[in-house]
Amino acid sequence: MSLELNNLSILKQGSTIFDPVNLVIKPGEITTIMGPSGCGKSTLLSAVSGSLDKVFTLKGSILLYGSNMADISMEKRNIGILFQDDLLFPHMDIGSNLAFAIKEKTSRVQKSQIIDKALKTAGLEGFEKRDPSSLSGGQKARISLLRSLLAKPSALLLDEPFSKLDQTLKAKIRLFVFSQIKKMNIPALLVTHDPRDCPEGGMILNLNKEKG
Amino acid sequence: MSGQAKGRIFPVVVISLFCITILAGLFGTLLPSLNYLPVIGYTRISLSAWFDFFSYPGIQTSIFVTLFSGITASFGVVCLAFLFISFSYGNALWKFFEKILAPVLSIPHAAFAIGFGFLIAPSGWLMRMVSPVLTGFTRPPDWIILNDPAGLSLTIALVIKEFPFLIMVTMGALGQLDIKKTLLVGRALGYSKEQIWLKILIPRLYPHLRLSVFAVIAYSLSVVDMAIILGPSSPSSLSVLILKWFNDPDMSFKLLAAAGSLFLFFMVVVSILCACLMERAVLVFLRPWITNGKRCSFVSPLKSIIFFMGCGTLFFTAVSSVILVIWSLTWQWRFPDFLPATWTLKLWAKGLMSSFDPVMTTLFTGLASAFIGLLLAIGCLEHEVAAGKTRTRNYTGYIHYFLYLPLLVPQITFMAGIQFLLVIMNMDGYWISLMVSHLLFVLPYMFIALSATYIAFDERVTDQAMLLKRSYIKVLFRVKLPMLIKPILFSFAIGFSVSVAQYIPTMLVGAGRFSTITTEVVSIASGSDRRAIAVYALIQQCLPMMMYAFAIIFPKILYYNRKGMQV
Amino acid sequence: MKSFLLIFSGVLVLAVFSQAVAKDWSEIEKQANGQTVYFNAWGGSQTINEYIQWAARQVQKKHNVRVIHVKATDISDVVSRILVEKAADKKTNGSVDLMWINGENFKAMKENKLLYGPFSQKLPYYQLVDIENKKTLLYDFTTPVDNMESPWGMAQLVFSYDSKQVKKHPKNMLDLLAFARENPGRFTYPSIPGFHGTTFIKQVLHELIHDPEVLNQPVIQSDFEKNTQPLWDFLDALHPFLWRKAKVFPTSASQMVSLLNDNEIFISFSFNPNSVSNAIKNGELPNTIRTYIHTNGTIGNAHFVGIPFNSSARQGAMVFANFLLSPEAQARKADPTIWGDPTVLDTQKLVGRDKDLFDAVPKGIATLTPKELGQGLPEPHVSWVQALEKKWLETYSK
Repeated sequence: MSLELNNLSILKQGSTIFDPVNLVIKPGEITTIMGPSGCGKSTLLSAVSGSLDKVFTLKGSILLYGSNMADISMEKRNIGILFQDDLLFPHMDIGSNLAFAIKEKTSRVQKSQIIDKALKTAGLEGFEKRDPSSLSGGQKARISLLRSLLAKPSALLLDEPFSKLDQTLKAKIRLFVFSQIKKMNIPALLVTHDPRDCPEGGMILNLNKEKG
Repeated sequence: MSGQAKGRIFPVVVISLFCITILAGLFGTLLPSLNYLPVIGYTRISLSAWFDFFSYPGIQTSIFVTLFSGITASFGVVCLAFLFISFSYGNALWKFFEKILAPVLSIPHAAFAIGFGFLIAPSGWLMRMVSPVLTGFTRPPDWIILNDPAGLSLTIALVIKEFPFLIMVTMGALGQLDIKKTLLVGRALGYSKEQIWLKILIPRLYPHLRLSVFAVIAYSLSVVDMAIILGPSSPSSLSVLILKWFNDPDMSFKLLAAAGSLFLFFMVVVSILCACLMERAVLVFLRPWITNGKRCSFVSPLKSIIFFMGCGTLFFTAVSSVILVIWSLTWQWRFPDFLPATWTLKLWAKGLMSSFDPVMTTLFTGLASAFIGLLLAIGCLEHEVAAGKTRTRNYTGYIHYFLYLPLLVPQITFMAGIQFLLVIMNMDGYWISLMVSHLLFVLPYMFIALSATYIAFDERVTDQAMLLKRSYIKVLFRVKLPMLIKPILFSFAIGFSVSVAQYIPTMLVGAGRFSTITTEVVSIASGSDRRAIAVYALIQQCLPMMMYAFAIIFPKILYYNRKGMQV
Repeated sequence: MKSFLLIFSGVLVLAVFSQAVAKDWSEIEKQANGQTVYFNAWGGSQTINEYIQWAARQVQKKHNVRVIHVKATDISDVVSRILVEKAADKKTNGSVDLMWINGENFKAMKENKLLYGPFSQKLPYYQLVDIENKKTLLYDFTTPVDNMESPWGMAQLVFSYDSKQVKKHPKNMLDLLAFARENPGRFTYPSIPGFHGTTFIKQVLHELIHDPEVLNQPVIQSDFEKNTQPLWDFLDALHPFLWRKAKVFPTSASQMVSLLNDNEIFISFSFNPNSVSNAIKNGELPNTIRTYIHTNGTIGNAHFVGIPFNSSARQGAMVFANFLLSPEAQARKADPTIWGDPTVLDTQKLVGRDKDLFDAVPKGIATLTPKELGQGLPEPHVSWVQALEKKWLETYSK
């Protein structure tokens, strides 16, 4: 249940770029996809998120809590993404960046309470009015995750989210991210080429293509 | 000397050239507006010219019409451009725009206004298409379309003409934002593309476009050639009125003209300040809207209207050129015939013969000013790059503002003053003065066109080359510039087309010794022969178009076997 | 016999005079040799531009004077430039050597001492100019010419109408008003200030004013209202029936030609009796357009060429001005298939080949005969122009 990839393969000009993938990720679980660069990891991720380039065609199905994602546009899928770049909006303060993610029907007071709470969990209390560019790499990464989660996604995709952080930070952020996913209890799909990124006990899938 | 980035001579030259000419020009206008013009016997400083100005019959209407058409056009075109980008970025229409932009931009304002007039007049081509079959008109209806007292036709023409300009500057600025990723992040948060554009990307884009928007405001308020052709006539818009006063045989009108042109400048300044205030206000008032969390896709009627309007600008530009071609081949053509009754090539034969000299002057002036403009632009940009690398003192911050000065101060306000000074220094009527006066307007546009791609150039390539060659000049000319050949030629073509279109500087600085195709167009347009007007307007249109064609084709030929340069 | 005597005496006068000027003139021609003359003239008409090009080729061939036509949109631009040159104390090497000029511009230049002269009396062909009958050659819009400009051509207000649309053309201003009432939107006049628009209201004033004599005098402000009241009453009555209900006026007389061709208006006017014939020949107007003048005559004037004070090629300019006065150039100019601008010469004074040249000039299809055109009404004193324009702007430009 939750996030399912059934016999999923991606074709470019008629030929598949990797062998069909079958996956079931339960809420709170993180599945890691590994493979050398150019093997189609990111393409797979964009297929799940709904941002697949038109040169590719999709075979198989993606099910999120039972519903087929095939004809649903990216913004309607309710799937969050985290990239290696923080991609915070540089012209807004941290508070606005987070508020942007919160869905409507939330009063202003509620919103700021939610933001306060979120910042506290990340150990960044009182950062609402800060300029994103004044933050350290680790802080940005945490805010970036908070933003993704505040939109209450049904699943989360992680596209090499730790590759730009330095070694000491990496472990810390990794832990933070994984614990948040657990807490939200949503399925997550992680793409990386660094084996150390894989969470303990998580499933690992090596993406490859049969020779010949 | 240490602590300063290299190549600072370029920004210093540019800044001083721009500052001196514009300040001198303004000063040369300020004196007569204070009743000081000794040559016609005015030596006592007073404000009488200003009183005359404000009591001139119909002046309130004139000011109002100028403000209305200028501000509506600027506001309209900015909104249209932003909505159009938001709705169509990346789709087929947008890609089509990217391809078609250069030729559309290269059409001189005067030529477009003439064609547009031929099109929409009650006796124009649009009416001829549907008459008398659909309308029953065998004579043109007595409707006010052209030269309407409220300046609506002028406003619409301004929007059509400025739209591709704003789209071009936007395309340049887009490179500085990470659009693809921002769209991904936004969509992953559940927002539609249009919403992400309007809530996130446009606010980030605007600071890069601010100066161009100011230039649009200044141009729309002070436009002369288009206003003569399409604007209201009694009273005319302020800039046209000022030109009339400058040219009035009664010399005392010069004082009035000087006061008027300073007032026009004042109007531009106030409008720009208002635009700044509005920007602030919009940011404050829109913040709640940006973070209100609403996810919705955009209402399709608005989307269709914006697509329709975006395509409409193209349609009108294209058909305005077509109608010029038809008129240029006409012998006799009366209302309501859809096409001319008799055709001829005579007008072309005559036009080509008599326009040979002006075309040559135009070519030489345009090539020279665009070439010098290119040198200065590349020099300034190299300085900027060097300063960025070494983080040393530099002039980059100022240069953008100074470069924009000639686009922000109404031409007529400072050009008349400059003419006066040139005559005093005995430098009017020289080709070199003419060329430099064109440079004032050529350089800013070239800089705008070139800077984004130039700054975005991957400096690792030059660093690598420096390790191999060790000569800055060699690396610049053998590696960097050849790699940037496409944007360089493109900006050259823009510079050339700006030079081609200059009317007021050519008239005033050239002392009438130099007639360019544009002065010919305007003078022939003061006559009645629409066929000859069409021929000249088309010749005027052809010159920049040829340069754009060259800018597009030459790199293709040069690098036909280099795939990496084909993108 | 009488005409023979006239011609004989004319030739005699010319011969005697020639003796006196010949020496001076040959000196001028010698100095002119090799000079470049920048001739600033309105460039809005292809036919006129081509005529100027022809004339330039002739003087290049005959006198080795190079004439460059600087095409002005409005000759007052040029006046401004010369003024600026004077302000800058530029006494030689001015940018203009010869310019096409008359009326207000001439007055402005003369008053500001921007003209070189007197010079026209030195031109050999000036002796053929019809100063006896054409008073406007001595008083340009009532400003005494004083030989500060050399005559070039004549002009007179003529109305044109489409004979296909209008069966009976008006014969005076009241007729015109009646026509406008019957055909709303089919007549207009160019906006004011502007030469043609102002000429139209001067014509109205001339026809309606109680005592046309006052027009020859400078405006007396106290009487202005009273004298011009019939004009404003007329315009008030006319405007509701004008093209675009007088909310828009054409920017120039040139635009009226297009309007006439498009059937937007049925009656137009111009300041050249031959322009309609010329436009028909050019395909600019259909051949159903004809011209007429009002019963009591229409305003006429003359146009000239003048030399700015700081020209450094004034000998060359004089040689060109003289050529423009030659029977050869004047006859060609009068030909409606070429330009159709009436001559300033007294054709009675001409003999032999010169006379043949004029006899060979064809009459345009829509051109009135000199007899039909009559003498032309004199231009009002220059001061009227400003007063009329000011009042018009105050009343109708709101």
